[in-house]
Amino acid sequence: MITLAPPVVNALQVLTIAAAAPGISGVISRVETRLQGRRGTRVLQPYYDLAKLFRKETLLPDTASWVFLAAPLAAFTCYLTVPLLIPVLTSYPLPLGYMGDILGGGFVLALGSFLVALAAADSGAPYAQMGSSRAKTFSAITEPTVLLVVFTVALITTTDLPYALARTVRSSADQIVRPAHVLAAAALFMVILAETSRIPVETHTGTNEFGMIDEARSLEHSGPAYALLKWGSAMKQLILYTILADVFLVPWGLASTGRATSVGLAILALLGKAVAIGCVVAVIDNSFAKLRLFKITEFVAAAFLLAVLAVFTLYLGGG
Amino acid sequence: MGVVLILLVTVPLAAGIVALVAPPRLTRAVTVGCGVTCFALAVSLVGAAGSGEVRAARYLRVDALSVVFLLATAFLYACAAAYAVGYVTPEKGEADFPRYARRFYAGLNVFAWSMLAAPLVNGLALLWVAVEVTTVVSALLVAIEDTDGAAEAAWKYVLLASAGLGIALLATIVMYYAGSQVLGASYELTFDPLLASAAGLPAGAVRLAFVLAVVGFGTKMGLVPMHTWLPDAHSEAPTPVSALLSGSLLVVSFYAVLRYFQVARAAVGPHFPQTVLLVFGVASLLLAALCLLDQPDVKRLLAYSSVEHMGILAVGVGFGAPLALAGVLLHVLAHAAAKGNAFFGAGVLVRKFGTKSVTEIRGALDALPWTAPLFLLAVLALSAFPPFGLFRSEFQIVAGGMAASEHALAAVLVVLVTVAFLGLSLVTTRMVFLPRRHPRPGDAALQRSEPSAAVAAVARSEPSGWMVAPMVAGLVALVVLGVHPPGDLTDLLSRAVAELRGLG
Amino acid sequence: MDPVPGVFEGGANVVAVLVLLAEFAMLRAQLLRTQVRLYAWQSLFVALLAVLVAADQGIPELYVLAALSVALKVVIVPLVVLRLLPDADTDIAGSGRFGVASAVLLAIGVAAFGLFVINSLHFAKSSLPTTALALAGAVVLVAFVLMIVRSDVVSQAIGFYSLENGVSLAGLVVAARLPLIVEVAFLFDLLVAVVVFGVLMKIHHSRTASLSTATLTRLRG
Repeated sequence: MITLAPPVVNALQVLTIAAAAPGISGVISRVETRLQGRRGTRVLQPYYDLAKLFRKETLLPDTASWVFLAAPLAAFTCYLTVPLLIPVLTSYPLPLGYMGDILGGGFVLALGSFLVALAAADSGAPYAQMGSSRAKTFSAITEPTVLLVVFTVALITTTDLPYALARTVRSSADQIVRPAHVLAAAALFMVILAETSRIPVETHTGTNEFGMIDEARSLEHSGPAYALLKWGSAMKQLILYTILADVFLVPWGLASTGRATSVGLAILALLGKAVAIGCVVAVIDNSFAKLRLFKITEFVAAAFLLAVLAVFTLYLGGG
Repeated sequence: MGVVLILLVTVPLAAGIVALVAPPRLTRAVTVGCGVTCFALAVSLVGAAGSGEVRAARYLRVDALSVVFLLATAFLYACAAAYAVGYVTPEKGEADFPRYARRFYAGLNVFAWSMLAAPLVNGLALLWVAVEVTTVVSALLVAIEDTDGAAEAAWKYVLLASAGLGIALLATIVMYYAGSQVLGASYELTFDPLLASAAGLPAGAVRLAFVLAVVGFGTKMGLVPMHTWLPDAHSEAPTPVSALLSGSLLVVSFYAVLRYFQVARAAVGPHFPQTVLLVFGVASLLLAALCLLDQPDVKRLLAYSSVEHMGILAVGVGFGAPLALAGVLLHVLAHAAAKGNAFFGAGVLVRKFGTKSVTEIRGALDALPWTAPLFLLAVLALSAFPPFGLFRSEFQIVAGGMAASEHALAAVLVVLVTVAFLGLSLVTTRMVFLPRRHPRPGDAALQRSEPSAAVAAVARSEPSGWMVAPMVAGLVALVVLGVHPPGDLTDLLSRAVAELRGLG
Repeated sequence: MDPVPGVFEGGANVVAVLVLLAEFAMLRAQLLRTQVRLYAWQSLFVALLAVLVAADQGIPELYVLAALSVALKVVIVPLVVLRLLPDADTDIAGSGRFGVASAVLLAIGVAAFGLFVINSLHFAKSSLPTTALALAGAVVLVAFVLMIVRSDVVSQAIGFYSLENGVSLAGLVVAARLPLIVEVAFLFDLLVAVVVFGVLMKIHHSRTASLSTATLTRLRG
């Protein structure tokens, strides 16, 4: 039996996320269109889009600086870093996993998002700047929510490592049922909907610029930079799904040893979980309407409420 | 004697049902008869309760403390029933008077029934149920007039009072929890077992229950700062209902607070419950006295006077000395008579002059030869003038405060009562004594200073003898209570004080 | 950190949290029917908790009580309220004194206060975890916030009904073995209160042709 060395498994985590991310996007859009009764796009369509974009030329706005070109690459690097820190394939911590805990992972994701917003503001185009400022405004409320979710993790396991929380959740049924856990998972799900720009915060399909928040940030990019941006946001989506699945909801199916077969099964399990979450998101996409811009504060306030209640019920000793 | 209790619980309810189906004349007679009967029944209980408890069925129980409140309620019920004969007349301009009268009398009887039932029931849980029933019935009665003000007052009243009773329900549950530590997991919150085992109740839970009960039942009693519904509801309701609200309903809620006080005093000692009551009492007195100085509406004025008197009751219990407690219970009886009289008089004034505004009612002495002096005497009684019963009771309260070494608070009480007297008497003397002036042509000064007094002359006559008789009865009661309370009554009061202090 | 609660306790606490979340959702509700339906859901959760307590502690009367409260609070009360106001303008949005997010933040603060105050008291022997009692206290306080912030009669009435729900929840925690007759008396009292509230709402609606209480400013001082 081939046993993979831990560094190899670590690299495999990054590769899995990078390779599978556009596929997950494709699956979600196919499920969504099929639910609408249409024939549906190809599952592999995002890969073809990326390949096409890499062949195209890059156009810059006159007023853009070096930030405009550097930011997509930097953001992509951030998104490549985070899979090193979170339990993607294995249930035991990997060597580079000690580089940062879940708080560090959250910060790196926020850094990537910030860099993209910076590039959009740098471009000088009105819609891009509007999207950039909107995205940062709403993240002012979603970031505290993520922090509170992290605190819930920390309070439950007395450590910040996501591996420890996954192990705790796996340990017994009462850990799954406790209200702090349920509330934190629900809050995280709502934040994921906001961060991956899904209904009820934004429409993923269509190009109604007035309603765009995250989508508008990438309007001015073109060519390979644009491909990196799209790939990066797909990776962010898959990373967030992985955190939700492997840390909170279903931390089973992870490899407990370095054997190649178990790692392979873990990859399949991860893809399955991500597809399942994606289907739920697709159903939500089709069932609800996008919120008016100023009602989005109510949505993120609700996520904040859930996260706050998670911390309180933990603190009160009954959760 | 147990039969008396059962009669007290069933007769008013039967009268209410009769009121729904019978013609107005029969209803009036039945209501008055029922009121007088209930008062006679309550009086008959005085002797029996003075020496021990009276029980009937499984859920009715009467001791000396209950009989005091039964007397107050039944007396006002009889007076209000008689007053209503003169007050509820077609000349009020109702389009469908029989329907209005039917609803009014049914409501009045059911309201009195619920207020009579509250001191009769055995147990804190049933007490809460009875007080909640009084709330809902009285809310409908407040809204019975077809005016914007009545609708507004009824909505505010029902919302605030029900929210307060929600807190009181929480108090009941916490008290149940406290008792369950001693009496077992499943028991009924009846008074005797709870009081007997009071020493073993967990102190924290009892304190919490008491504070919640004061806040919750205090909302219905009119303690500041939960009193905001009171001036609206008491001024917009029809006058007999206002009298019952002020004279009986507030004290029934006070009865509930007293029961919690009884248990709390036995469980955690007198200091904590008394301090809580003193805080709320002084706040009520202060706000009410200040608000009395500037009220434009005569019934609102009397409503604030009720807040003041409820504050006096709370302060009296807060003093805790036996003399003060005896004063408090006498005050309950005397206040019922005096406040009833005051509201009845105000109702006649409003009926006669067609307005509730104190600046527009002038020359009452000329227009109403019986009511105006009686009204003035009632207001003087409310301000604790001798020889009326309220003087005796407030004297006892202040003396009890001195005996309990609460000199500063007793002084504060006297000062605030004087301020309240100032507010009440200024308005009342103006209404009664200042003459109505008929405008002469070119009398610009009159038009400027009192434009509303320059109206057509009002005929010198009483609207109805039925409205005067209850006031005379109330005056007699006040004088009797002030000069020489009957021996049976004093025995009853002493026994009630002993029960409150846990020695009965 | 405190020991992990067992499955029953964790599940019961989750349902209690759902009761509190329903209360928060009422702060946001924009339609009359939404408010009423949220109240129905909240009552259903409380009845579910009653069934959980009955199963765990072996109190058969609580099953009866749960059935009665479902019949009363989930079926009859919403029916009464919706029947009494059939032609009312069903949109009560914007009736809050400040916006929804601000009201939610205020309610979070109030609920936190309640949660921590009640948790600092010590209750021995309760049939549900004491977190549920703290959550019940938070429900009562947020119900007060709902009654204060919203200025329409339906929200205020539903606020009162949900306050009673919070008190019932507290009763389930510390007074689960209250005699059935007393609990039934409480329930029927609530029914009478509902009818009276409904009558007064109807009077208000017929006088002012709206559900807003912003016009109730005649009586002051």
